[in-house]
Amino acid sequence: MTTSGSGNPPATANRSEKEKSLKHLARDNSDYVILLVVSLFLLTVPIWADYVSTFIMDAMIEAGIFAIVVIGLNLLFGYAGQISLGHAAFVGIGAYTTALLCTRITGFPTWFALILGGLLAGLIGLVIGIPVLRLKGHYLALATLAFGLIFTELLKTQNSVSNQSNGGIGGIPNFSIFGLTLKSKIMSSTGYYLLIWIIALLVVLFTINLIRSRVGRGLRALHSSEIAADTMGVNTRNYKVKVFVISAVLAGLCGGLWALSSGRIEASMFDLRYSILFVTMVVIGGMGNIWGGMMGAIALTFITKILELQIPQWIPNRPSWLADPGNIAVVLYGLLLILFMLFLPKGITFGLSRLGTFSKQGGSRVKDRLRAIRYRGG
Amino acid sequence: MADDIILEIDNITKMFGGLAALKDVEFSVSRGEIKAVIGPNGAGKTTLFDVLTGVQRSTSGRVFLKDIDITRTKPHRITELGMARTFQTVKLFEGMTALENAMVGCHSWTKRGFISNGLVLLWALAEERRIYQHAFEVLKDVGLGTRAAELGTNLPYGQMRMLEMARALASKPEILLLDEPAAGLNPYETGELSSLLLKVRESGVTILIVEHDMGLVMDISDEVVVLDYGEVIARGTPAEVQNDPRVIEAYLGIEA
Repeated sequence: MTTSGSGNPPATANRSEKEKSLKHLARDNSDYVILLVVSLFLLTVPIWADYVSTFIMDAMIEAGIFAIVVIGLNLLFGYAGQISLGHAAFVGIGAYTTALLCTRITGFPTWFALILGGLLAGLIGLVIGIPVLRLKGHYLALATLAFGLIFTELLKTQNSVSNQSNGGIGGIPNFSIFGLTLKSKIMSSTGYYLLIWIIALLVVLFTINLIRSRVGRGLRALHSSEIAADTMGVNTRNYKVKVFVISAVLAGLCGGLWALSSGRIEASMFDLRYSILFVTMVVIGGMGNIWGGMMGAIALTFITKILELQIPQWIPNRPSWLADPGNIAVVLYGLLLILFMLFLPKGITFGLSRLGTFSKQGGSRVKDRLRAIRYRGG
Repeated sequence: MADDIILEIDNITKMFGGLAALKDVEFSVSRGEIKAVIGPNGAGKTTLFDVLTGVQRSTSGRVFLKDIDITRTKPHRITELGMARTFQTVKLFEGMTALENAMVGCHSWTKRGFISNGLVLLWALAEERRIYQHAFEVLKDVGLGTRAAELGTNLPYGQMRMLEMARALASKPEILLLDEPAAGLNPYETGELSSLLLKVRESGVTILIVEHDMGLVMDISDEVVVLDYGEVIARGTPAEVQNDPRVIEAYLGIEA
C-alpha cells in the first residue's frame, strides 16, 4: 500500500511500476495461502492437543461449531452491515430439525438430516428476512431480537416438540455417512473435530471466494451507502435477503452439528445469550475481516471455557448474581463488546497483523481514548 | 440528433408536505447532447435527479428512458437500463480502493451471483476478469490509472469527484447524470473535467448536468434548462438563457 498523498502527477517510470504493483494486487492470493497453512495446522491439533490439555479438543470442537455460524453472521453483519440479534434461533431450527428427524424416524440418515436442518433454517430465514430487512439499524436489531425471543419461548412452551419442559431432546445418534459412524465425543473427539473443522474451513473458503468477487464488493458497497450502491446497479434488497439466507443456512448447519455432536439439546442452547455471543464473536474477531468469524469463535470459546472453569476457584463465595457461570459469560460479552468497540474496533485479527505498530504507541493511545470517554461522559 | 429522444420528463411534480420541490417540470434530452440544468440553490435540481434515478418517487408525472416508463422503477434497474449518476456530496464506498469502487460500477452489466462466485465456477472467474479490465480502463480514462490501488476516500477531493464519475461510467451508461461535478474543483481541474465531459460525449454518452459553474455550463452544454422554485422558467442555448430577464431576476433579484 502506498502512502503518498500528494497531488503531483507521478513520473512515467513510477507509473509503470505502480501499474505492475496493481496487477499484483488484483491477483493477491495471500488469503488462500493463509487458509492452506491454517488448515494444515488445524489438522495437526488432534495429534498433540491431549498432551497439552484434555480441554483443548473439547473447546476446539465447540469453537468449530460456533465458527460456522459466526462466519455467516460476519457476512451479514461485518460485510453487508445488517445486524441480527436472533441468529441463535436459526441455530436452534437446524438443531431441532436434525434432532427430531434422527430420533423420531429410526434409521434416518444423519447427514441428510443435517442438510435438511440447514435448508429449513434458510427457508425460514427467507420468510423472516424479506419483511425484516426493510428495517434499518436499531429497528432491524429489535425485530431480529424479537424473532429470537419468540423462537425460544415457543420451544419452551410447546411440549409436542419434545416431551420435556425445557424443550430437551436426548438420545440423538452420532453422525454417520457411507456406513461410517463417528464415535461419540466422550469416546474419541478426533472424529467430530475433523468433521466440524473440515466443514468450517470449507465455509471459510466459500466466503473468501465470495468476498473477493463482484458479490462481495456489492455487499461492502451497500454497507457503506445503500443509495449509492443501488444507483450503481447493486440490487440492495436482493443482496440483503440473500446474504441473510446464507447466514441462516450456515446457522442451521451449525445447529445440526451441535445436536449430533452433543447427543442432546435443550431450548436454553438457543436463547438470546447465544445470539449475543455470536455478535460478540464477530466484533472480537473483526467485522468485515475474512478471518474474523473464525478467530472470534476460537478466542471467545476459549475465554468463556477458561472462565467457567476458573471462576469458581478464584471467587469461591460469589454474590448470588454471579452464581451461574452463564451470567458471568453475559457480563463478559458486554464488557468485551464495549472494550473492543473502543480500542480495537477492527478486531483481534487486524490487531494481530498490526501487533508491532500497536505496541509502539499503545500506551498513549489507551490514555487518549480514556480521556475522550471522560470528556464525552461530562 | 434532435429527434432521437433518450430521456423524457413528463410533468414531474414532487411535494414535500405542502411544499412543491418540483412543479410540472417537463423537458426532454436528445441522444448525444449535453444538457445543463441550472438554477439558484434550492431550486429543486438535486430532487429532480433523485426522482429521475428512482431514489425518490415523484408525486405525479412520468419519466421515460428510451421510451420505457421508469417512473416507479428501482434505482439499480434504471442503471441497468443505461442511466448512471454521480452525487452532489461525494458518496464513495468506504474501505474500498479506487479500482474496487469502479468495479462496483460494473454491477449493472454483470450477473454472476452468490453461488457461482462462492464456488469460483469458471464463468464467474471469466466475468471477474472482464470487470477488472473494464474498471481499470475507465479509471485510466479519467486519469486515475496510477491511483487504482489507493483507498477511494483517501484521494484528494478533485480525484474523488473523478472517481465517482469513473464509477458511473463503469456501468456503460447511455446517459450520464452529473450532480455538480465541478463543485470544489480548482480552475485547472475544472478545465480537465470540461475536456473529459466532451470526450465522454464523443464516445456516444448523453450528459445531463446540474452545475453552478456558469463558465463550464456555457462552454460545454448544447442546451440549458433553468429551474427556480421547482419550475422551469427558461430554456434554450446558453447565450439565449444568459440574456433572459427571468433568469437574471431569479439569480440576482429584481432590478431596482
